[in-house]
Amino acid sequence: MTELDAEIESELRVIDDALERGTATAPGGPERELEELAAALAADPPRPDPVFASVLGERVRAGFPRRRGTGRLPGPGWPKLRRPPKVALAGAASIVAAVAVVISLQSSESQPEMSGLSDGAADISALPEESASTPRAAQGSAIAPASPVSPDGGFVPGAEDRRIERSASLTLAAPDDRLEDVANDIIAVTDRYDGFVLRSSVSTGQEGASTGDFELRIPASRLQPALRDLSKLGDVRARTQAGEDITREFVSAGDRLRAARAERRGLLTRLESAATDTEAESIRRRLDLVAAEINGLRGQLRDLRLRSDYATVAVTLERSDDEEGSSDDGSGGDGLGGAFDDAASSLSDSVELLVRVLGVAIAPALLAGLVLLGARTVRRRRREAALG
Amino acid sequence: MNEAVAERMPPLAGDIPAAETFEALYERTLPKVYAYVASLVRDRSAAEDVTAQAFERAYRKRRSYRPARGTAEGWIFGIARNAALDELRRRKRRAGLHADPEDVAAPAVEDHAERSLRRQVVRSALAELAGPERDMVALKFMGGLSNAEIARVLGMGESNVGTRLHRTITKLREACDDRA
Repeated sequence: MTELDAEIESELRVIDDALERGTATAPGGPERELEELAAALAADPPRPDPVFASVLGERVRAGFPRRRGTGRLPGPGWPKLRRPPKVALAGAASIVAAVAVVISLQSSESQPEMSGLSDGAADISALPEESASTPRAAQGSAIAPASPVSPDGGFVPGAEDRRIERSASLTLAAPDDRLEDVANDIIAVTDRYDGFVLRSSVSTGQEGASTGDFELRIPASRLQPALRDLSKLGDVRARTQAGEDITREFVSAGDRLRAARAERRGLLTRLESAATDTEAESIRRRLDLVAAEINGLRGQLRDLRLRSDYATVAVTLERSDDEEGSSDDGSGGDGLGGAFDDAASSLSDSVELLVRVLGVAIAPALLAGLVLLGARTVRRRRREAALG
Repeated sequence: MNEAVAERMPPLAGDIPAAETFEALYERTLPKVYAYVASLVRDRSAAEDVTAQAFERAYRKRRSYRPARGTAEGWIFGIARNAALDELRRRKRRAGLHADPEDVAAPAVEDHAERSLRRQVVRSALAELAGPERDMVALKFMGGLSNAEIARVLGMGESNVGTRLHRTITKLREACDDRA
């Protein structure tokens, strides 16, 4: 009321006083007029019919029993379903949508990684137009997103049999006393998938700082299951995968080889019909050059075929931390610490998910709120239009 | 008696006793609610229907009442107002079923002539007010609500209610003076 000016406030007070007393008491003047007006406005209010008041009173005391045909199920045994408020419904819908979006985003982000651990069905070979020339540096990242056209022009439109050079790197951690076993298992997995170990080294430091490095060649068609099995050998600290489309190089080398062979056939034909020794000598020199070229191209093709048929897998073996080691070997000496770490990690994951959900949910929630507010205002205005 | 009716309402705001049953609330507010509704719909039969509907709605929604958002009286007037406005909308759609404006405003026979005349003048001035103004006057003088309660019911600020009420009263005074 502080915003009202003194005159308005005074007149409103006169009205309130008159309503409270039910009669005008001022001796005369405008104040008396106002009191009389207030009394007249409040005088003789419509009164409810006693019969109506009595019937309604009965219904109130009976708790407004439902009339027949209202469609509600009778009986105290049925739980009363209360309609949830619209705001709650809108909020719930927003959260569900946000969770769905976040989950779909997360799954789309992690799909290549998951496929790498599952059956390889979503392998990069299923994406013939993609190539990834540089593996991601970040730990735990999945295969680097490939661009349709590589900078060096590796994309060859129309090539049906694409040649992809695959590479992967894996960092595994294992307890110190299991490092040797894991190293042996890495070789065993490689053998199982018909691969071979190009290079391996396992070093043991004086204070147990053991590490191992392996460079493996695994048949590209069996890369995913091999990676899955390798990942099971220890704790995966990091994993990257990359693919580079070398189809263009392959096709180009093949074309050049065919051309060189054709030239060689032509030269041989010309040699047969050479009229002079000089001409024959000249053709032989050219044949030598073409033969060298053919050999070079064959080697190039063999190398390219090897690169595409076998994936390069670099495995780094590290000693895991004491806590992890003890939990892995089942001793349980620091089980409580591990449990705390797990709990902290789970909490961190939950908070991360919550932040993502909130990030996505806020916009639709605001929108839903605005829509509800708008609907409420419209409904109110429509109702109040009846007063006009 | 139904136990739910005897169940106490949430604590009421202001100086009203800490809690009252729905039945007590009904007994206390029925005359005012009816008077207010009748002033809006201006038809005795419709006023009864709307009043009954308002109390039933209030009963079913009694758990949604929040004392922090205003008095129980203001809450029930809000429900009654919505029910009355719904009735007016329905009536608007059904052209031809107009209310009888004289129905609820019949003057008492034993009234003093001068006072009766004065009331007639006031009523005719009131009839010329715009709907929202009449609504506010009905809440104030028939419903007996405070300006704060009216503000809650109408969804506006208390000072705004004061200003509009003052403006409406001034208009009424002028209309009455013209008629006198």
